[in-house]
Amino acid sequence: MLTTVAAGRVFDYSYCIGMYGMSGQGFWSPQDFAFGSDGVIYVISRGVEEIGQRITRVTWDHEFLGQFGANGSGDGQFIWPRSLDLDQAGNVYASDDYLHRISVFDSEGGFLSAWGEAGSGDGQLNGPSGIAFDSNDNLFVVDSHNSRVQEFTKEGKFLGKWGSQGTGDGELNMPWGICVDREDNVYVADWKNNRVQKFTPDGKFLVKFCGNDKGVGDLHGPTGVAVDSEGDVYVTDWGNHRLQVYGPDGKFVTTLVGDAQQPSPWTQTYIDANPDIIKARRRADLEPEWRFHRPVAVNVDSQDRIVILESYRHRLQIYNKEKEYEEHSLNL
Amino acid sequence: MPHQEDIALMAHLMRRAGFGAHREELEARVAKGYEATVEELLHPEEQPAIDEDILYRFFPGYEGALGPPINQAEWVYRMINTSRPLEEKMALFWHQLFATGNSKVDNPPELTQQIAMFREHGLGSFRDLLVELAKSPAMIYWLDNNGNHADAINENWGRELMELFALGVGNYSEDDIKEASRAFTGWTIAPKIPRNPLGRFYWNFEYKPEDHDDGEKHFLGHTGNFNGEDIIDILVDQPASPKFLSRHLYNFFVADEPQVPAWDITPPGDPAAIEMLVNAYVESNYDIRSMLRVLFNSDFFKNARFARVKSPAELVVGTARMAGNYNAPRPGFNMLAMECNWQGQELLNPPSVESWHTGPEWIDGGALVRRVNYAANLMGNIDLPGIKSVIARIKAQGNLPPADLVAACLDAIGPLDVSEATHGELLAQAQDGGELRWDTEEDQTKSEQRIGILLSLISASRDYQFA
Repeated sequence: MLTTVAAGRVFDYSYCIGMYGMSGQGFWSPQDFAFGSDGVIYVISRGVEEIGQRITRVTWDHEFLGQFGANGSGDGQFIWPRSLDLDQAGNVYASDDYLHRISVFDSEGGFLSAWGEAGSGDGQLNGPSGIAFDSNDNLFVVDSHNSRVQEFTKEGKFLGKWGSQGTGDGELNMPWGICVDREDNVYVADWKNNRVQKFTPDGKFLVKFCGNDKGVGDLHGPTGVAVDSEGDVYVTDWGNHRLQVYGPDGKFVTTLVGDAQQPSPWTQTYIDANPDIIKARRRADLEPEWRFHRPVAVNVDSQDRIVILESYRHRLQIYNKEKEYEEHSLNL
Repeated sequence: MPHQEDIALMAHLMRRAGFGAHREELEARVAKGYEATVEELLHPEEQPAIDEDILYRFFPGYEGALGPPINQAEWVYRMINTSRPLEEKMALFWHQLFATGNSKVDNPPELTQQIAMFREHGLGSFRDLLVELAKSPAMIYWLDNNGNHADAINENWGRELMELFALGVGNYSEDDIKEASRAFTGWTIAPKIPRNPLGRFYWNFEYKPEDHDDGEKHFLGHTGNFNGEDIIDILVDQPASPKFLSRHLYNFFVADEPQVPAWDITPPGDPAAIEMLVNAYVESNYDIRSMLRVLFNSDFFKNARFARVKSPAELVVGTARMAGNYNAPRPGFNMLAMECNWQGQELLNPPSVESWHTGPEWIDGGALVRRVNYAANLMGNIDLPGIKSVIARIKAQGNLPPADLVAACLDAIGPLDVSEATHGELLAQAQDGGELRWDTEEDQTKSEQRIGILLSLISASRDYQFA
């Protein structure tokens, strides 16, 4: 279904961006993305072993603007790039869960600084995963192997922490993604506990998102989380290859499974250049290509466009949350 | 304290049924008992599987790997970190026997699917395994069964099924090949979305009745309107089938046999052992687990220590497990995979459907240098956790004269039997430093380094090349 209507909401599939690329135009096992100014989207690629690690700059209308970062442990390099976010000045912050550090770049990709130290003490990191800025331009970092969230200034000064290993409310098990809503509440994808938890800015547990006791709305290994202007919560259900949508109270709303029936322009160019591939595609059931495979991160922009990043398919799928939708006649 | 002989026997079992074990694990297994350990190994489903969520969280590119060595690295990760060593060893066994290569298939994820099938069915019925193999898309493509049509047969799969997978040369006729091929017409692969630029898509087995030859067939003395499964039913009941399979199991788990192409003219080294395995096959209705139970509990197995040359995968994985630096996701598994390649065993890409030549043929001048350099570098690295553990064990024995130091090192990473010549070289090296002492900080630093050098030398020895 290109349009999904559920519980008074309408989600309308729009288009997709991206394709596989070891370098240049394309992404490779992308893990996270963030919106910049002037229609720029930053996408961080994990690559494989020593190749493919980078941050790509691309526009909403498919223009490849360039890339920065490479494999290595030097300034501006990555071993296991994981997550990124932008501060209010447009600088790009990226986590590396092997090097246990946050690297900082200007909006064009020029390296500015890096901070972070391996360990489990205050301010130290063990496998930093998702990162997200709050309205004060402080950075929340999911300190995954330490089962906690830490808050830092932009310069890396430790401000606070919460969370510990466990399965109870407020406890975490290998958390992955994170987002901050308009009230600075914090949502954490509690990966191994198969749920998302919502906290106040100072870490007080508020509500969890994990489906009901009949399995409706379940999560398996949630990775990314985002909140729209109406408080609806979107979770990339990585292990089940779908996007789960919840209301602000944690009640399950609906599932999106991916609808990229039309290849992105980059992908279409590749197909058009290969007659054998055109031929093969005409014989195949293309539906698996439309669907999410390892959705890993989600963001919602100021217009409530919902953008989902797929690690396995190396692309972004974009849905609009329609506010003025009129129900069609059922007897058409 | 467990008896030294029990430890040595358990180490032998774990080298063969797995990829070796640390001393701590050996002691725990000896406490559990040999036969109980065999049962545990034979029932991998009772141990936790590799956590694939962890694997793909940290190595997202391993899932649906686009090409080697990434798919090879994924398997090496599993071999090192599995809690089900025999399951993984059997996957390697079947991969060696049912050799399917990326050089032609050019589809790493599909080969990985085939290995997963070996994990699932590798200890069950030989008959069921052959059926799964016949449906494996990688195998169908590898041996051209997608080109085997009702009105124009392709004999490749039918021939190799008998020659290399189930019977061995001399146990079937050219007519049997044709008839078997007719029975497998219509066993093919459904069209799939081509690779790139959106990653890989998997093949699916497809049976096309309209492309199947429904006529009567005459196969190995049987007549009927056979389909593929009927052919396999007949094959597994042939007397040649358990003999052929038993010899492969013996060659892989017990002692090096001549290369497979010589089997029709060279009898097995231990015919009585083969007979025992054949009997287990017949009595258990083709059950691989039952054959292996007999094998691991037999005297011929227990007495065959260091009778096989380690394959590159065994050497690379076993050494990495011992050194203990790869027991969680980290960069570098691709280099371990490449190491196997450089030593002559490209996992998921055997040289042909006849597979690798094994035993002494694993080793030539170039391969030996790679084997020695790889093992010596890891085993001599005293910063690695596994080597630190070895050092701690030796340190607990206090100050040691050179001969005891050599014995302690051989014991800690084996126990390993070495020749007189090797022992002499090791002793000469140990004597250079005199007594191993731990009295001062300087002594400790020096002793740790000396142990590292000795371990390095041991792993560079001829004796270390044997399992």
